[in-house]
Amino acid sequence: MLGFLILLAVFVPILAPYNVVQAWNDPGAWTNNPKLAAPEWSEIFSGKHLPRTILLASNGEPGGFDKVRISFNVSGQTYTIVVLRKSFSFQFDTFPSEIKLFMTAVFGNATGTQIRVFWDRPDGQEIHLFDGNPSVRAPYENTYSLTGPSFKDPSYAVYSSVRDWLIAKNVTNQTEWASLYPTSGGIYQNPPQTQTMLMGRLNRTILDPETAEVLKGNYSFRIEFSGFTPTDDANARAVVYGTVFGLAGTDYEGRDLLVALLWGAPVALAFGVAGALASVLIQTILGAISGWYGGFIDEFVQRTADFYLIIPTLPILILLGILYHLGILLILFVLVVFGVVGATTKVVRSIVLQVKEEQFIEAARSYGASRSRILFRYILPRVMPYTFALIALTVPAFIFLEASLSFLGLGDPSLPTWGHILGDAYTQGALFASRAYPTGLWWWVFFPAAGIIFTTVAFALLGYAFDKVLNPRLREQ
Amino acid sequence: MPLPVLDVKNLVLWYRTRKGPVHAVDDISFALEAGQTIALVGESGSGKTSTANSILRLLPKNVLRYEGEVVFDGQDVMEFDNEEFRKVVRWRGISMVFQGAMNALNPTTRVGSQVAEPLIVHYDIDRREAADQAIEALGKVGLSGDIARRYPHELSGGMKQRVVIAMSLILKPKVVILDEPTSALDVMTQTNIINLLKDLKNTEHLSYIFITHDLGLASELADLVGIVYAGQLVEVGPAEGVFVRPKHPYTGKLLASVPRLRSEAAPDFIPGVPPDLTDPPPGCRFHLRCPVSFEKCGWSAPEFIEQVKLLQISEETKDKVPAIEAMKAKDTQTLLIKPVANGTIAEFAQRLTSFIAQDQETYRFLKSVESVQSKAKVVEVKLHEAMPPPLIGADWRASCWLLEAGGS
Repeated sequence: MLGFLILLAVFVPILAPYNVVQAWNDPGAWTNNPKLAAPEWSEIFSGKHLPRTILLASNGEPGGFDKVRISFNVSGQTYTIVVLRKSFSFQFDTFPSEIKLFMTAVFGNATGTQIRVFWDRPDGQEIHLFDGNPSVRAPYENTYSLTGPSFKDPSYAVYSSVRDWLIAKNVTNQTEWASLYPTSGGIYQNPPQTQTMLMGRLNRTILDPETAEVLKGNYSFRIEFSGFTPTDDANARAVVYGTVFGLAGTDYEGRDLLVALLWGAPVALAFGVAGALASVLIQTILGAISGWYGGFIDEFVQRTADFYLIIPTLPILILLGILYHLGILLILFVLVVFGVVGATTKVVRSIVLQVKEEQFIEAARSYGASRSRILFRYILPRVMPYTFALIALTVPAFIFLEASLSFLGLGDPSLPTWGHILGDAYTQGALFASRAYPTGLWWWVFFPAAGIIFTTVAFALLGYAFDKVLNPRLREQ
Repeated sequence: MPLPVLDVKNLVLWYRTRKGPVHAVDDISFALEAGQTIALVGESGSGKTSTANSILRLLPKNVLRYEGEVVFDGQDVMEFDNEEFRKVVRWRGISMVFQGAMNALNPTTRVGSQVAEPLIVHYDIDRREAADQAIEALGKVGLSGDIARRYPHELSGGMKQRVVIAMSLILKPKVVILDEPTSALDVMTQTNIINLLKDLKNTEHLSYIFITHDLGLASELADLVGIVYAGQLVEVGPAEGVFVRPKHPYTGKLLASVPRLRSEAAPDFIPGVPPDLTDPPPGCRFHLRCPVSFEKCGWSAPEFIEQVKLLQISEETKDKVPAIEAMKAKDTQTLLIKPVANGTIAEFAQRLTSFIAQDQETYRFLKSVESVQSKAKVVEVKLHEAMPPPLIGADWRASCWLLEAGGS
């Protein structure tokens, strides 16, 4: 277990470089991923072939949109027409979670510059989705959600187009539509799921997302751009978001949780081991000094340890976290500062009290070894084995502390740690079942929790193994 | 007479305990010439190891009294401060082989560095050079150099003992204190170690202070023997003398307690237990257990009462003792006895006097009675004065009143 963790910690930074982590807090970096998608392999449980994300890349990129651009002059007026087209095959058993279109456009005067978007279905139907005016110029993208609950343009246009199309095909009528999807002040109370209508078989079932059947086959986008200057141009990219993603799924920003899970391992290991190593070693040395020198030093160290033991570290860290927004190194520092003396000091002191009566210590004293020499050459090596066991058993405590802080939102905000993911999952209500997610967002909670448990158990087992080696009573015959 | 390499004079070491001061070392004196070995022999708890520790100033925290003179190489090292003592005496002048070698080695250090440790501590020399000297020292005690790379737990008991001896020799001291160097070893290994010590004594010109309770081993190695009883040296003298014709009754009893091969006589034993060192008996400290104690040996009134009570309890002797109602110590040497109301006081005094006269050879404490006087209601018994016996003799000294009296 530990070997696996260490391998993970070594290879993760090589396989997933740090810039992936830096991108963690940039929502723009994750627009090609579906939001709240379960892991791909979870489809085994549903028995259906669940949709993956289909990326229709920008024109110019391999597999991207096909593009035709014509610019011509009619009686002194320049017209530029760009036609973008891309078809894709959809063979999954359920509907995608979202469909989005991203367009970059170069245009002169905004007035009159128009985008017309068409949707071709495998059954030969064509739906004129919407007409719109690009609002921002390249390099910024105009984002058009074709399905989303957003009540901004062009979703509403899409809703209307779909409604009109369905009425034209005699699937429904005005009255029925209005009763199915009531509006209040022009805003849908319960917006229609256009992806089921865009991709379902054209019959009565299409109106209900529960019963709609997926129409498998080739779909295509057709985008017509028209502008009025010779330099006008348009490029498009579209994403048909799936409902499953990768090995570990995604969170509410569409972030690949696998990245955070993998990065969580080295962060947790480094934090736990560094913290445990520093605090246990300091505590050991202070405990040994306390036991060996005795007298006032002993009294001072032990009373300080008593005092530190009753200080509640977590509330103090929470307070500091609220006041100063600590980075992970500062959290580590604070934890070590509050752990310079503690339980280990007491354990080590009692071991030292036993060791210092042994004869080789008296022998060392008799040939004139100084007190500090005896402490570092004779006593500390005797105590060290116990210390290793204590370090192994302390690592989980540090990992838990970091996770608790991150969970409370007081950890290092820039690092995707396990606790951080759990905190996000908690604030987003990941464990509440909804209509779209009847089992809740289990992957969002399960994997980071499993990571913490795995690491903790690994170190606990290591500690027990040390104990078995060091404690003669537990040694096997 | 050559100057002694070590001259211990009136060494005293008392420990403070809750019960009162423990007289662990109480006025011990002996001198040791270069190349000589003195064996300090005594029962467990008699103060042998405390003597050794006080020579090396290895004192616990609860020391109450630590005084006397330890003249080493012509200097009184008791005058040295701790740092000077550490630099000059410890290991460079006097080294020690500890009781139970098994535990005297640091379990986490390789044997080589362990042996070299005193060198590094005292001379701050190069690690490599120290290692070479350690291997040389191991060679002297008959161990091969590759032992140096081993850990103590990989060695046998005898090997560990040799390592400890090598460690004690590495700074070439003049005096080595051997504190029961062979206890916990089997007899064959004991013999090997003793032979090794004999060889080293000759090749390295060492003086030993050999602490043991094994008279056989002591006779093997010692030139001088010091018999320690209750924190005091009761007899010091040449080994051939002390072992053959002991002057002190305790030495005699000690020798008689050694079982002998091919001898009909069962080993003798000493009745009673060693005295409590927090409250050593007055006079000669052995008088309570001594088979030949007499008037001057130092019985005190409380002891006398204790002994009479023992006689009253015993089934065999209770009829011999005149009927007594109560006894009370008036001072250390006077006690008052109140008889059972049966006849006059004078009659009782008469019975008591005849009892003392009759049985004083059997119950030797009765010898200490100086006079019996009748008072109004009680009989006052006066005891002889309690005085510690002086060490009598020059080269062969023993502390027993019998010697002064001319007896043996």
